[in-house]
Amino acid sequence: MSETNDHPETFESFKNSFFYGSRSDLSFKFLSHLSDDQAADFFQGLAYKLVDAYDDGNAAPIYEHVRQGQILSYAQEARAVYETGPFTPVEKPLSRSRLMLLTSSGHFVQGDDPKPLGIENMTQTQAEQNIMSFIKSPPTLSTIPADTPTDRLEVRHGGYDVRGARKDPNVSFPLQRLRELADEGCFAELSDPAFSFVGACSQTRLKKITGPDWVRRFKEQQVDAALLVPV
Amino acid sequence: MEEAGIPTVVVAVAAFEQPLRKMALARVLLTPFLMGRPVGPVGDGETQNQVLRAALGMLESTQRPTVTVFQQT
Repeated sequence: MSETNDHPETFESFKNSFFYGSRSDLSFKFLSHLSDDQAADFFQGLAYKLVDAYDDGNAAPIYEHVRQGQILSYAQEARAVYETGPFTPVEKPLSRSRLMLLTSSGHFVQGDDPKPLGIENMTQTQAEQNIMSFIKSPPTLSTIPADTPTDRLEVRHGGYDVRGARKDPNVSFPLQRLRELADEGCFAELSDPAFSFVGACSQTRLKKITGPDWVRRFKEQQVDAALLVPV
Repeated sequence: MEEAGIPTVVVAVAAFEQPLRKMALARVLLTPFLMGRPVGPVGDGETQNQVLRAALGMLESTQRPTVTVFQQT
């Protein structure tokens, strides 16, 4: 919400506006998880590094500053609890293994739109506007043939900034890269199809119902290992 | 998937380190990229392939739950 005469915008509402608000930008939604002081330090540091980048011709410190802001917000959000989890060793060398790809990046093939929330041709903006409905909805798995050309991939996900993925699907759905590595002999075979879903979905249903169903399906493909890419 | 007998490796941005450690996953490769681009920067196939080789290498090299930070060469 921008400033009005009767209701001047506070810094808090300014930083929160990046989180699905008036200035929604999913690369900067993390600002809402920072305190006002932390967010102020972030913007001050960003401005300082911007001018350094102008002088030095090196923008990398800017990217690192943004990255550290993202790290800070998520480090504060989670309470790390170190527990043991299941671990399955591989049974054969990678060079003889069938590898599957599963991402939560929201990719699908042109013409095979999963029509989330029953909406045809949903735009990215609509996905962001409907994020609360998404996180209550059942997970939907998109199947993507392993030989799908990169220019036939589409992506839509209301929970993260898909700009990078739209320019280059490999940043979060590395199907083309895995084909290249298979051709090099890094592993024996890419399992067909690959899979992607919108990770912003009902986590309860994913854990208790849909996820186990998907795993049964993956087992039927006789995969030897899986590469998982969350976003 | 591990419980079902499918070995897995996760590639994720380092911003997610704490939530991922909480999940005690089998193999995690943390990458130094901005959120939404875990495998590597737009158009940088060489880096993306380095990331994927490092992740796939963890399938063979790890004997217990492991979190590794990707080091770009």
